[in-house]
Amino acid sequence: MTNPTTTVLAAGSELNEERIVALLKRTAPFEPLSDQRLREVASIATPVYLKKGDLIYTVDERSDDVYVIATGTVEHALGPSAQATQLVKIVGEADVIGWAALLKNKPARLAKTTCLQDCEVLRINGQHLIEILAHDEASGREVMTCFAKMLMNEFTVPAWLSQVQELPRKVKVGADGLETANLTGVSLTMFRIAQWLKSPRPYLMLLGFTIFIGLWYLLSEGWHVWRFDRLPGPVEVWEEWTSRNPVYGISLFTPEYYTHIWYSVRRIAEAFFLATLLGVPFGLFLGWSRKFREYTFPIFETLRPIPILAWVPLAILMFSGTETPVIFLTTLASFFATALNTMLGVESIDESYPRAASCLGASKWQVFRHVVIPGALPHMFTGLQISVGVAWFSLVAAEMVSGQYGLGYLIMTSYTMVSYPTIIIGMATLGIVGYITSAMVRIAGDQMMQWRVRELALGGSQ
Amino acid sequence: MNAVIQSNAFEAKQRERNMNTKGTKGAIRIEKVDKVYDPEGAAVKAVDTCSLDIGAGEICMIVGPSGCGKTTLLNAIAGFHSISNGTIYLDDELLCGPDKPKAEPGPDRVVVFQNGALFPWKTNLENVAFGPIMQGTMSKKEAFEKARDMMASAGLNGSENSYPGETSSGVRRRVEIVRALMNDPKVLLLDEPYRALDSLTKSVMHEALLDIYYKNKVTIFFITHDLEEAIFLGHKVVIMTTRPCRPKKILDVDIPHPRDYNVLTSKRFRELMDETMEAVHEEAMKAFERGEKEG
Amino acid sequence: MNASTIVANRPMGRLRKSIFHDTGSRRAIVSLILFLVFWEVGSQSKAWFGVQLPWIGMVPAPTAVFSAWGPLLLDPSYWQSWWQSSYRVFFGFIAAMILGIPFGLLMAVSKNYRDTVFPVFEIFRPIPPLAWVPAAIIFWPTQEMSIAFVTFYGAFFTVVLNVIGGARSIDVRYFQSARSMGANGWDIFRRIILPGTLPSIVIGATVGMGITWEVVVAAEMISGGGNSMGGAGGGLGFFIWNSYVGGSYPQIVVGMISIGIAGYISSTIIRWIGSRATPWLRMR
Repeated sequence: MTNPTTTVLAAGSELNEERIVALLKRTAPFEPLSDQRLREVASIATPVYLKKGDLIYTVDERSDDVYVIATGTVEHALGPSAQATQLVKIVGEADVIGWAALLKNKPARLAKTTCLQDCEVLRINGQHLIEILAHDEASGREVMTCFAKMLMNEFTVPAWLSQVQELPRKVKVGADGLETANLTGVSLTMFRIAQWLKSPRPYLMLLGFTIFIGLWYLLSEGWHVWRFDRLPGPVEVWEEWTSRNPVYGISLFTPEYYTHIWYSVRRIAEAFFLATLLGVPFGLFLGWSRKFREYTFPIFETLRPIPILAWVPLAILMFSGTETPVIFLTTLASFFATALNTMLGVESIDESYPRAASCLGASKWQVFRHVVIPGALPHMFTGLQISVGVAWFSLVAAEMVSGQYGLGYLIMTSYTMVSYPTIIIGMATLGIVGYITSAMVRIAGDQMMQWRVRELALGGSQ
Repeated sequence: MNAVIQSNAFEAKQRERNMNTKGTKGAIRIEKVDKVYDPEGAAVKAVDTCSLDIGAGEICMIVGPSGCGKTTLLNAIAGFHSISNGTIYLDDELLCGPDKPKAEPGPDRVVVFQNGALFPWKTNLENVAFGPIMQGTMSKKEAFEKARDMMASAGLNGSENSYPGETSSGVRRRVEIVRALMNDPKVLLLDEPYRALDSLTKSVMHEALLDIYYKNKVTIFFITHDLEEAIFLGHKVVIMTTRPCRPKKILDVDIPHPRDYNVLTSKRFRELMDETMEAVHEEAMKAFERGEKEG
Repeated sequence: MNASTIVANRPMGRLRKSIFHDTGSRRAIVSLILFLVFWEVGSQSKAWFGVQLPWIGMVPAPTAVFSAWGPLLLDPSYWQSWWQSSYRVFFGFIAAMILGIPFGLLMAVSKNYRDTVFPVFEIFRPIPPLAWVPAAIIFWPTQEMSIAFVTFYGAFFTVVLNVIGGARSIDVRYFQSARSMGANGWDIFRRIILPGTLPSIVIGATVGMGITWEVVVAAEMISGGGNSMGGAGGGLGFFIWNSYVGGSYPQIVVGMISIGIAGYISSTIIRWIGSRATPWLRMR
C-alpha cells in the first residue's frame, strides 16, 4: 500500500494521529496489527522532537519505553553486555529502538542511542504497549515474535537475550477462545450471545428440537401411528401443563404440582446433605489412611454392587414409616458415589505435594488440611455431581415403589389413574429439577476451586 | 539476562567477597549408606556403601544415569525414605542411622521436586508463605510480607496473586525455590528441577539459581543427568555409578564463582567436560544395556 | 501415617505390592468376619439379650440367610430368576452398545450432527430411567419389552457420553501423522478413531453394566411390586419383592446378595473383554 506520507518530513511539522498510525503501519513489527489496534497504539505514543547530537538513552538506564523513529537517523551502539556480533547500527525512519523495554525480565538499557540529525521519534511505554497487544492474543503474539526476530536478525543480539515478554494472558471465553480483555459483566454476556448467534449452533439446536417435537407430534397426534397413538402428544401435554383447569388435576396452576416437587426436592436435599456429611470424611480417611482403608473398604466394596433398589424391602423392614426408608435409600446411593470419588481424589494427589508440605514443616494434620482436602476437591466434586444424579435415580425408584408424594409417586399414580399426560409432565419436571440441582453442585464446585477454573481457562497447565 | 547482566560494579564486588566465604551451615556427611528395597524376595540394592562429604555452603552436583538411585539418596536426606545401613549427618547432627533409619522431614532440608510441587490450589504468594505459617514461626501477615519481599528480590513481582497453573514453567520453578528459601534452610535439595524446561529457559534458570545462591549461601544438593549443567553450577560434581548407586568419580570444579554463561565457552570448562564425559558415558551405557528405565 | 505412603511409590510399586497385598487381604478377612459377627449379634439382639437394637435388629441374621439359601440352591425357580434377570440385562446392555456406539461416534465425527442432536439428547439425560417405566409400559406391547426398553435407556446415555468423550480426547497428532502417511477418511475412522475410542467404550460399558443391573432390579420390582401392571415379572428383583410380600425375610437378603454377585460377575466379564480388546493399555 502506498502512502503519501512516506517522504521524509521537515522537522517540526506536527505528528498528528493520522501520521502516527501511518508510520506505525510501516513499522515492521507492527505489521500484524489491525487498524483499530494501531490506533490504540497511536493513542499511547508521545511525539518527541530531538536535535542533532541529542542522547535518547544510554546503557544501564531504566528501560520503560520503546521508540519508533519518525524522521531522522539515530546511531544505535550496543554495550558489551548485549553480546551482539555487530555493535553499531544506524537506524532511521520506521525503525524501532529501545526494545529492551519489551524483553523478558526487562533488563536495563543495552545500548547508547544518539541522534545523527534532528529527529522526530514516538515514545511508547512498553508495558502499555504489551497491554494493548494482549487484547488480541494472536496478532499480539505475532508482534512480539517479530520483535524477537528483529533483534536477532537486524541487531545481531543472541537468542537467549532476545526473549521477549510474555503477553499477560486473559481468561478465555467459550470454546472459540476469544479474548475479551475489555469486556466485562453484561457486555461480556452480550458478546458471548452475539458470538453464539453468529455460529450455526443455535440454528442446528433449534432444528434438532423441531425435528424431535415434530416427530413426536406426527407420530402420536398427527398420524396416530400404531402404538404411538397411545402416548400423549406434545400439544395435549402442553395444554394440560399450562391449563388453569387441568383435565387430570396437575398443571402449573395447581398447588398439588408444587407439593410433589417440594417433596422430591426436600428428600433430595436431605439425602444429599446426609450423604455428603458422611461420605466426604469417610472417603478422605479411606484415601488418607491405608490401615483404615484395608479394614473398611472390603465391607464397602461388598455392599456397593448391590443395586439400591434391592434394598427397598430391607429398608422398609428396618425403618418404620414411609419417609425414612425413602431417605435411607437415596442417602445410601449418594453415599457410595461421594465416598468412592473422594477416596479416588485423595489417591490422585501426586506424592510430591504431601512431601513438599512436610518438608516445609507442616504437621500431619496440616498436611491433611492444606494438601489432602484441597487436592481431593476436583474428584470430590465429580463425585458430588454423580451423587446428585444417583440420588434422583434412587429417589424416583423409591417413590414409585413406596412413599407418598414426590415426582416418582406422581408418575406412578398417574399411570394407575390413566392420566397419561401427567406422566409426561412429571417426567419433564423431573428433568428440569434434576438439571437445576446438578447445575447448583457444579457452580458450588467452581466457586470453591477458583484455581482450577482459572487453570482450565488457560487450556490446562503449560 | 537476570541480575547477572544488570549488575553494577558494587554488587559484583560484594558478590566476589561473598564467594570467599562459602557459608557456615549445612554440611552433609554420608557414611556407608546402603538402601535395599523389598527385604522379602527379590531384593534390589539401590544404594551401595555410598560415602560422600558435602561442605557447608557447597553446591554439590550429583550426576548419574536415570534410575541409578540418586533420588533414593535425596529422599533419605530429606526424610521421605529410610536407609538400610550407614549414617547421614547434617552439621554433625545425626539425621538417620542404624537406630533411626528414617530422618524426620523438616524445614532445614527443603526439596525442590522434579515435576514441581507448588500447590496448585494456592496462589504463588500463599505457596511461598506456606512454610513459616505452617511452622508457626511467623504470623500470616509477616509471612506474606516476607514472601512478597523475597519474590520481588527474585524478580517475581507481578505473579504473586496468580495460581501456579497460570504462570510459565520457568516462573513456577523460581517460585518453588523461593518457597524453599523462605524457611532459611541449611540445605536445598533439588531433584532434577529443570528437567522439563527448554534449554533457553534452563540457561536463564541456572543464572537465577546462582544469583539466589550468592545471596543466600545454602548448601545445594542438586541431582541432574546433564553434565554441562553440573559443571556450570557446581563446586563439586559427583558422578554416580549405575544401580546400585555409589560415587564413581568426584570432580572439583576449579572455575571461580561468580560464574555466568561465559563459563560455558571457556577452555577450562571444556577440559572438565572432556575429563568427566567418559565416566558418565560409561555408566550410561551400562544402565542402557541393563535396560533400566525410570519408573 | 502420611498420605504420601498411599500413593504407591512409582519405581517400587511392583516390588512392594506382594507384601501389601498380604497384609491387605488379611485385614480384609478380619474386617469381613467382624462385619458378619456384628450383623449376627445385632440381628439376634432380641433373642439373646432381650433388647432389640435399632435398625440392625430388624435385619435377618446371616445364619438365617444362609440356612434359607441352602434349599434355594436346589430350587429351579430361584435359578429361573437368575436367568430372567441376566438375559434382560444382557439384551438391554447389548442394545445400548449397538445403538449407543454408532450414535456417539457419529456425534464425534460430524459437528453439524452433534449440534443438532446433542441438545435434545441433553434434555433427556437428567430424567432418571425409572421415570420411563410407566410410559414404556404404555407404549410397548409386552411387559418384557418395556423392561428391556428401560434397561437399554439406562445404559445408553453412559455409553454415548463415553464414546463422545473418548473420541474427543484423541491426540490431534495421531490424525496428523496418519494423514501424513497417506490415510484417507475411512482409514482414519477405522484405524484411529475406533481404537482411540475403545478404552472409553470399555469404561462406558463397565459403568453401563452397573446401571443396567440397577434398572433391571428396579423395573422388576415396580412391575411385579403389587402395582396394577399385571403380568408376571420374574427375575431377581421380583424375587426380592415377592419374598418381602410373602414374609420370608431371609430370602430378601439372599436376593440382595445374589444380585450383588451377579453384578460383580458381569462387570468382571466386561473388564476381561475390555482388557482383551485394548491390549496396548496393559503394558503400563
